[in-house]
Amino acid sequence: MAEVPILVVGGGPAGASAAATLVEAGLRVLLIEQRDRLGGAIHRQTASGAESPVWRPARHRRNWAALTARLGAAAERIDIRTQTVFLGVDGEGRFLFEDRRSERVLARRPRAAIIAVGAIETIRPFPGWELPGVMTVGGAQVLLKETGRPPAGPVLIAGSGPLLPALAAQLARAGNPPVAVLERGRPWRAPGALARLILSGGPTGEAASYAAVLAAHRVPYRCGASALRAEPDGDGLKVACRIGTSEQSLHVRHLLIHDGIVPNRTGIPLPAPEAAVPVLQAGDGREALGADAAILDGRRAALQVLARLGHASTAGAASLERPLQRARDFQAALAEALHSARVAPSPETLICRCEGRSYADLAALAEDASAREIRLMGRFGLGACQGRLCGPMIEALRAQPLPATSSPRWPLRPVSVAALARLTADETE
Amino acid sequence: MASSTSIHVAVIGAGIVGASAAHFLAAAGARVTLLDASGPAGGATGASDGAVSVASKRPGPMMDLARHARAFYARCEREGLFRGLFHRRSTFLVARTAVEADLVAQHGADLARAGERVFEVDRATLLERVPGLGASVCAALEIPDDGHALGYEITERLLRGTSVDIRRSAPASEIVTQAGRVAGVAVRDDLLAADAVLVAAGIGSAPLLGLGDILIPRKGQMVVTDRAGSAGPAIDGHLMAASYLAAKRGIVRDNGHIGLVIDPLMTGQFLIGGSREDHRSDHTTDASTIAAILREALDLYPPLAQRRVLRSFAGVRTASRDGLPIVGPHPRHDGLVVATGFEGDGICLGPLMGASAARLLLGQNPDVDLSALAPERFLRAEVHA
Repeated sequence: MAEVPILVVGGGPAGASAAATLVEAGLRVLLIEQRDRLGGAIHRQTASGAESPVWRPARHRRNWAALTARLGAAAERIDIRTQTVFLGVDGEGRFLFEDRRSERVLARRPRAAIIAVGAIETIRPFPGWELPGVMTVGGAQVLLKETGRPPAGPVLIAGSGPLLPALAAQLARAGNPPVAVLERGRPWRAPGALARLILSGGPTGEAASYAAVLAAHRVPYRCGASALRAEPDGDGLKVACRIGTSEQSLHVRHLLIHDGIVPNRTGIPLPAPEAAVPVLQAGDGREALGADAAILDGRRAALQVLARLGHASTAGAASLERPLQRARDFQAALAEALHSARVAPSPETLICRCEGRSYADLAALAEDASAREIRLMGRFGLGACQGRLCGPMIEALRAQPLPATSSPRWPLRPVSVAALARLTADETE
Repeated sequence: MASSTSIHVAVIGAGIVGASAAHFLAAAGARVTLLDASGPAGGATGASDGAVSVASKRPGPMMDLARHARAFYARCEREGLFRGLFHRRSTFLVARTAVEADLVAQHGADLARAGERVFEVDRATLLERVPGLGASVCAALEIPDDGHALGYEITERLLRGTSVDIRRSAPASEIVTQAGRVAGVAVRDDLLAADAVLVAAGIGSAPLLGLGDILIPRKGQMVVTDRAGSAGPAIDGHLMAASYLAAKRGIVRDNGHIGLVIDPLMTGQFLIGGSREDHRSDHTTDASTIAAILREALDLYPPLAQRRVLRSFAGVRTASRDGLPIVGPHPRHDGLVVATGFEGDGICLGPLMGASAARLLLGQNPDVDLSALAPERFLRAEVHA
């Protein structure tokens, strides 16, 4: 078929919703997903493809089943490529991918592109966050969903945000309740925000069910509490914690950390809805509003593309704005309720794990150092993670974005020299 | 000229040349303001390989100057200024065809005539030095006295701890002159008064000096790989293909020619370049050019197949129409000195050229013969009123 497809990058709720909307309008779609199955972070299945035993609300299961059915109904118009990693857009407008199965780099020139690559976790660095045994809450959740097994031994969860109690409850249900959940924020100090949260119609039922699980397993959930330092200790970690005004030390096997999510924008092409090849962002990759909003946002992006290509009016789009605004209000109230002042980390705290650069190295740079200097002189954002991890930390600590995160670049992920060398000009297979 | 303790010099361009000039001016007691449209090492200095190489230079004044420039690196390393940043390492000039072997041999003879040590290396010996080298390599020369330094590290070191007033995001828009003498620099809407001015702004020098027809941007695309090992360069020298020599000697001039160099970085990573794209001043990279560079690199050094590309990036070299840099006093405006047009040789030549420009700005004679680089070639009194 000669019709050039529309590219959708990311097979989570936003990407699946965008793809379904486009194929239902009769267009062809190329849907790229880096994992071996669609679903994204929220609907991740086990490695064998079975439904993950990890509990999640019925609403999420229903939503995903509906999306899957819509994609299945138009299977002949949608080309789904899993294990295919988006590498970015080159200077001549090629969208580049690495097919990890065939170890080939592919180049495509789609009619339009919707980028729905989700959010990334942020952390607030402290001495020892880079040690073995420390991982992000989201990373631990992926492992739990894919293996069905919780990490062995005592687990401490620290940081901020709703993912902390969610994972704690999932670990408890899977048989290993964490020793404690340390929430940095002090929501009772923001009663207005708390009230807005409760009145928002947000997923308060979900929150209540997590609270019930934590209570049943006697998992302490402490607010105004945080991990200060971690040190190796036997085959585990000694974690110094501040809980209220006192400092205490906990011995655990795993420390899981998380301080919210931000859109994954590292090197991602900037939105260009009016360009010859329109590019839109959708879902948590555009604005971190959560899984329910991502479905609406994917639909919104697809309707915009359809209108731009003369296939439909944006009439349906207006009805999406109100629920998206509600999600925005909910997230704003949540952020306000859990807000905590940012404290500069101690000088020895590692900021860039790839290149081993500390906060002292960051602070040594000139106050008005350009983003280029932060990269070259500071060697921040130059490692294999391409600044995905340290970029948001540096942005927060210096109130300045790194160029790697603020402008399109490729490859977005390390790519095999051999695979890239095999790419011949404008390969279209 | 005012005494060096009171003179105020504005240096335009915080690349390796401007940073070096600023360093040596400040060391001599001058008050220095260093202006850059972005920040230190924001242009070609921060987007280049680290070759402090005589081996790659065109025979003639460039080869001679490069020998002085490399010796200047060694001296700065010995005396502490560049300590830990400049490393001796061999350059291997490698040929993959009989025609390339002739070119390499001819270049080796030119290097030897200039006083450079040159060793012929047979394939067996070369394989010991660079295990895994491609089957097509048929001849090679080793130039054992070359070196390595990263432009942005040198720039940072030159400026660290000096009294130089660094102004970032400060694009110079005009050189202000009065009665045949430089009076200052217009930066946006402000005038920065100065007793002397150095223009070392790469391609940004063209509009300031009216050299739009003389200075040509030449884009180069490169990649950086992941680390081959835990520490230190992965191979025992800088691999320079004959295709690179052909470009440097002006034998091939087609736009898009790849002059292949494989630069083993101190981190264990490889920097691989690069394209030569005339009249391209953007910083984008494209997959077809990068893939072509990697195919060349894999042919020369197949073990790169085990590496992954971390980044692609592009730098913009500033080439002059006759292929030589432009360094010296402006023929018409007292107190104005020019140092630009270093093409791909700025990392090697930069520190010495900056130090030489500093001497000119202080009314002293440079330590090296710069006559072949004189701005009079392009800037005559009647050209630009």
